[in-house]
Amino acid sequence: MDFSNKYVVGFAVVLCLVCAAAVSVLAVELKPQQEANMLLDRRTNVLRVAGVLETGETRTAEEINAFFEDGRIEYLVVERASGKVVDDPSTIEGIDSAESFDATKWAKDNAKNDQLTSPIDPAYKETQMRVVPAYLQVIKVTTDEVDCLVLPIQGYGLWSTLRGYLAVSRDLSHVIGITYYEHGETPGLGGEVDNPSWKAQFPGKEIYGDQGEPILEVKKSGMVTEPSHQVDGMAGATITTDGVDLMLEFWLGDGGYGPYLKAQRGDA
Amino acid sequence: MDKETKRILLDPLHLKNPITLQVLGICSALAVTTKLETALVMSAALTFVLTSSNTVISLLRNRIPGSIRIITQLAIIASLVIVADQVMKAYAFGVYKQLSVFVGLIITNCIVMGRAEAFAMANPPLKSALDGFANSMGYAAILLYVGFFRELFGSGKILGFPVLEATNAGGWYVPNGLLVLSPGAFFLIGLLIWVQRSLSTELVEETN
Amino acid sequence: MRFLEEQFHKVAPLFGKGGKFEKLYPFYEAGDTFLLSPGERTKSGPHVRDSLDLKRTMITVVLALLPCTLFALFNTGYQEIRATTDPTLGPLDVNFARALYLGLLSFLPVYIVTVAVGGLLEALFAVVRKHEINEGFLVTSLLFPLTLPPDIPLWQVALGIAFGVVIGKEVFGGTGMNILNPALTGRIFLYFAYPAQISGDLVWIGDSANWVDGFSGATPLATFYSAQGDLTQMAYSWSDAFWGFVPGSMGETSAAACVLGAFILLFTKIGSWRIMAGCVLGGLGMTLLFNAVGEGYHDVPFHWHLVVGSFAFGTVFMATDPVSASQTDTGRWIYGFGIGALTILVRVINPAYPAGIMLAIIFMNVFAPLIDYYVVRANIRRREVRLGLQ
Repeated sequence: MDFSNKYVVGFAVVLCLVCAAAVSVLAVELKPQQEANMLLDRRTNVLRVAGVLETGETRTAEEINAFFEDGRIEYLVVERASGKVVDDPSTIEGIDSAESFDATKWAKDNAKNDQLTSPIDPAYKETQMRVVPAYLQVIKVTTDEVDCLVLPIQGYGLWSTLRGYLAVSRDLSHVIGITYYEHGETPGLGGEVDNPSWKAQFPGKEIYGDQGEPILEVKKSGMVTEPSHQVDGMAGATITTDGVDLMLEFWLGDGGYGPYLKAQRGDA
Repeated sequence: MDKETKRILLDPLHLKNPITLQVLGICSALAVTTKLETALVMSAALTFVLTSSNTVISLLRNRIPGSIRIITQLAIIASLVIVADQVMKAYAFGVYKQLSVFVGLIITNCIVMGRAEAFAMANPPLKSALDGFANSMGYAAILLYVGFFRELFGSGKILGFPVLEATNAGGWYVPNGLLVLSPGAFFLIGLLIWVQRSLSTELVEETN
Repeated sequence: MRFLEEQFHKVAPLFGKGGKFEKLYPFYEAGDTFLLSPGERTKSGPHVRDSLDLKRTMITVVLALLPCTLFALFNTGYQEIRATTDPTLGPLDVNFARALYLGLLSFLPVYIVTVAVGGLLEALFAVVRKHEINEGFLVTSLLFPLTLPPDIPLWQVALGIAFGVVIGKEVFGGTGMNILNPALTGRIFLYFAYPAQISGDLVWIGDSANWVDGFSGATPLATFYSAQGDLTQMAYSWSDAFWGFVPGSMGETSAAACVLGAFILLFTKIGSWRIMAGCVLGGLGMTLLFNAVGEGYHDVPFHWHLVVGSFAFGTVFMATDPVSASQTDTGRWIYGFGIGALTILVRVINPAYPAGIMLAIIFMNVFAPLIDYYVVRANIRRREVRLGLQ
């Protein structure tokens, strides 16, 4: 069949308009629902690592959101170097609210702004992150059963960046839990970081030594000598194990949440 | 049911299976089949896209100018893929997270373009819809087969329920790591092709 | 001999066309040709350019593997004694007979399972496809256990060899048609399917539950990575690694035994010297490249790379597999060079897979036909030019 050029152009224009309109309407209509989903997902992860939700336990969206809306869970933004809590996070460029604040993403987006990012800490290099966020997010969880701080952590494993949360008790005496919600490690080896039975080793481990130095460690598989603060690594996954170990050392040390946590200990 | 309808419906399941015989849509067959659940949802998404794209393209087939035929098909398919993607993101977020980019990548699934170009452009809407549906079922059958065995032997579960108690959950079954990796799916598909060609010898090419 | 021959001839009609046991002909054939020189030569397969038949080729390879096998028995036992009593014990300090006994205890079950399961599958395919049982399996069934750690669960051995035989060989049509080395295919299957039982520091020496406290079962290769090439941190000396008194896969630790095997293969012209030389050159080239650009693990000298891990074993016995290697002389150089270079590349760059040679060989197996194709094309073109046809 022969079509005139006019028809071809007209057809293309109409097709584009129809498709674009349909897709746009749908995207706009569904956006609130999608955002609610993502928020709920993040919140569920926080509740799980804090031990409010047991492994495998599910709650309705209302129940989960209730924790965050009635002040039982509180989001803070802290200055990394000084450990001071920022009173009004929205005054910092690029931060909307404490809850939506993603330190890594923020550091990346503001990488050109030298005043906002600190020079690269050597320990940070080891975790394979290019930019050091000047501000960090801390989540305070206070329910009837648990009283803890949830710290977003991330670092490099073998193949991928691991992202997760570490929950520590409010007096910093022991770990409440750890979780990784994003990783691309080898299933069965490094992929065991998200295996509940491996993560179950963490709760109860001591975090800081007498001098306030981080002592929580992940040892090579089968090499644990002091179980009070050492976790048995994943068999056959030396590099992922080392990655988790380094991540803990970094985030609990002076380059990470150290200053803030020290200030907290002063309070307590 | 007349003979032709029967042929349209049944051929894609075995004799003209899009994955094992035409070797199309392999990428997603490897990527989303570590679990049966993701395989199921992916199949459903493809069924939606393929059936509706075939129908729409067949309806427009006499009005689509030949010179912009491919890009027209692409625009229609892309819109349908975005619909599937967005709806899942809103109403099936748990699975959506696991499927990640692969719903969006249905657009690059050669089965969809292939059926549009080979069938929908030349046949009436009802037949095209049937063809799209049948090919989706052929795709789904392979995905479910691969997903079933990968989940069962790779993690000892079926649809998330433990069937073989895995050692990393305190049981006796040592999960087979190869099946969790993509090559595992290749072997499963390869074995199925072997079985198919042994059953229907007419599929075997003549050697010279 | 006479008597045997008569016996075989007497029962022959039973297994022939139309005989009572026609289906079992492969078994008869296997027994007949194993004991007696066959009246006919094999018609297809990897040996067509040679007056040798497949059977004698394979037996020679088995012979060449004997030093490795015997050493495997001793070293497996020796490592176990060392790990469970006193890690400082030298190879001469332990009771030789006891070491051999412990080694046999580890190796024999693995070998028996390999032969039983693999042999059964071979026979099954031979019966269904109506071809002869192939002696190639004798080599495969010896190579495969030698590449395994001592404490590997036997069901994994069974699964591994089954995968190697079926996917590595039979799906392509049996011996002579396979593009991959079946023993290595089985080994790689186990590596990816059950990594926890075949990697790490706990599997390379038997009886890990009873090791003395603080003993590290790390192989020299693993230590390279963890020590980042700092040779002073090596628990074993270069000569330990050369002779093979180190932990590792049962038959792969001794470069010396491999060299002995290489002599047998080269003397009988069964293994290709071009492939072996290519491997060593490729490894050398890649190592020099790393030495030039990097430090730490990059800086490990070549004489160490040669003796740790399975470089020697892979080069001598796996890469030279006549079926899956390149068949042209130029192709063999390229093929060997690729294996050597890739091995070092994987070893140094990707510490997740310390056993780089296994992946390198399978990878080059896949490329072997392509290499041959282009070598042959180039040859044809050269002749055409010479004849003025182009």
